[in-house]
Amino acid sequence: MLSNPEVPVIDDADLVRKAQAGDLGAFEELVRRHQHGLFSYLYRMCRNSSDAEEMAQAAMVKAWEKLGGFRGASSFKTWLYRIGTNLCFNLRSRRKPTEELHETMAAPDSERPEAAFQQKLREEAVRKALHCLPEDQRAALVLSVYQDMSYREIAESLGKSVRAVDSLLFRARTNVRKVLAKDRARGII
Amino acid sequence: MSNHSMNCGRLKRLLPPFLDEELPGRMREVVESHLASCPVCRAELEALRADMALLEQVRTPEVSPYLVIRVMAEVRQQKRTAQRGFARLAGSLAAALVVAVSIGAGVLFGSGIAGTITPVAENSTEEAVSYVESSAADMYAMMAGGD
Repeated sequence: MLSNPEVPVIDDADLVRKAQAGDLGAFEELVRRHQHGLFSYLYRMCRNSSDAEEMAQAAMVKAWEKLGGFRGASSFKTWLYRIGTNLCFNLRSRRKPTEELHETMAAPDSERPEAAFQQKLREEAVRKALHCLPEDQRAALVLSVYQDMSYREIAESLGKSVRAVDSLLFRARTNVRKVLAKDRARGII
Repeated sequence: MSNHSMNCGRLKRLLPPFLDEELPGRMREVVESHLASCPVCRAELEALRADMALLEQVRTPEVSPYLVIRVMAEVRQQKRTAQRGFARLAGSLAAALVVAVSIGAGVLFGSGIAGTITPVAENSTEEAVSYVESSAADMYAMMAGGD
């Protein structure tokens, strides 16, 4: 299989060419490679794993539909994230503002409940700070901090210029830090 | 505003891209040089770094192991539908071609038949007309003879 270390890793561009020729196995490998990153990005955008998974699935199926028109001007990854971003922004603009689902995850250290509690508080503070941001600032910050994307990759994923991304990230960081500073002053983090 | 504080203000704007390693070489050197001599900006850089580290601590749930299966099931279904659509289109085109050929053949064949039938029809009319005319003549002759 492609994950076998003895077999040379095929890059995304080769897999895309094979998938464009109708090779479903190649497309499946692309899905496997990018599912975690795309899901994680969409989850941080919408804070709901069920919505994030639905959007990730829709983005990947749409990528398959549009694959014939993909010319490789950007990487497959940023092209896929752009599809996901558009779906996410469209879905959120169509929906009425509702209470976001706050999902609880298993505590990282159940033997130290105090540390686990502190971790939970920190996570909640960060989530709230992220959700105070306008969508485009949040998307840029999430792609930078959690997906480790360069400014050029973020620009491709959001359909913006590198200069615009630099500006978005500066404003996003300034705004997030203001919220975190308040929490810090109140002793929450 | 002193020159130093102005420099600090401009430098603050460059700290995020500096942290992200997005500054071009010359600019990076300028920032590094300023940081080496300015404890306030160094403290600001460390605070920024700490806040970004705090963001990184937030975990995400694991993606469902069925996501790939669901995506590929939908993709396969789409491929089958597209193939069926193509087959249906090819079938429709073939049927349209058969109909067009049939109509064409019919027109050609029809005009051939018309060429043979028309004179018969015309002859029949002429024969009928001459029959009626001769019958009428006979009838007048008989009537004349009867007087």
